[in-house]
Amino acid sequence: MNVEFSAWLFAVSLGASALGGALGMASGIFIVPVLITFGGVDIHGAVAAGIVSVIACSCGSAAPFLRASLTNIRVAIVLEMATTLGALTGVFLAGVVPVPFLFFLFAIVLLLSAWQMMAPRREPANALQNGGATDWATALRLHSSYPDGILGRDVAYRVHRIPLGLALMYGAGLISALLGIGSGVLKIPAMDTALRLPIKVSSATSNFMIGVTAAASGVAYFALGEIDPSVAGPVALGSVVGALFGARFLMAMSGEKLRLGFVVVLVALAGQMLLSAFGIHWGGHAA
Amino acid sequence: MTAGLARHPELERLIAKLLDRGTWIASGIIALGLALELAGWPGMRIVIGGIAIFILLPVLRVMIMLIMFIRERDTRFSVVAALVLMIIALGAALGVHMAGNMPG
Repeated sequence: MNVEFSAWLFAVSLGASALGGALGMASGIFIVPVLITFGGVDIHGAVAAGIVSVIACSCGSAAPFLRASLTNIRVAIVLEMATTLGALTGVFLAGVVPVPFLFFLFAIVLLLSAWQMMAPRREPANALQNGGATDWATALRLHSSYPDGILGRDVAYRVHRIPLGLALMYGAGLISALLGIGSGVLKIPAMDTALRLPIKVSSATSNFMIGVTAAASGVAYFALGEIDPSVAGPVALGSVVGALFGARFLMAMSGEKLRLGFVVVLVALAGQMLLSAFGIHWGGHAA
Repeated sequence: MTAGLARHPELERLIAKLLDRGTWIASGIIALGLALELAGWPGMRIVIGGIAIFILLPVLRVMIMLIMFIRERDTRFSVVAALVLMIIALGAALGVHMAGNMPG
């Protein structure tokens, strides 16, 4: 094990996790392409390390949301049936899908994330109207309320369109396992458009879910021996430190500048992934 | 109307504690292993142990939810939690199976 490489892995993960946390994204989407492009880690090793970092971020930042009653654990466990099943599919596909296709898919996910970041989320028109005739959410007792700090009272909300949510979450789990990321790209539309959860509840709940989703592929990658401790160890540590302390320092920064900076980084990483998809390597490493 | 239908305050606090403590323990073990390794001692196995704890934390969380749902006699959600655990177990089995099929 090389001291500089470990320190570099730690620092990169800390930065990715701190910055990602400030914008409500998991760190994997930055860590995986950086490990591949600048760290010379092969894509399967980078994906496995990304999965470990996603779990570390999720576990490390879940407690405050739970204590604030923002996490809807009933919605989480229902959706986790779909995300874990998707993760299983992803693990299976990871062994079959050609590597250039993985790079290509990664580029698309990065570009979609950049696009999502440019269009800020609006609070879904939740209201209290009843759902359809076969209302799964009511049958499963998923509706709830959360304490709103600004209003100083509990805000009740209803959960909508569970079947559509489940379908999107299956996709999110698949992408997560295949690319080693938290897969916010599919979770945000699932939470906002399908379930119509309030943003605070949606962020807390999806952060809670990505841990279990990543654990489903994590156990498989662990059994496969794809998790290299000399890479995943420093990455996990950096992710936890970044998730715990990083976001606080970033509160002071302008949200708009941060957002724009991120879009630039995401697009640059997407370009790099596209080049890798076509077998062009430059900048740092020729693996 | 403050009592939300889907709230489980006790369970939420318990899970928060588990994930919080678990994160510290797993991170501590990984840090110890890395420190040993950097000092020239064999520490990688310890790092692997810490990573394994991280991966098992969310699984443990689902197990706790399953136990709680069973205690609350919530059959539907007991089945849901059990299904999630089964899928994760399948993931482990898939990993072992694929490892067996790999060349070398």
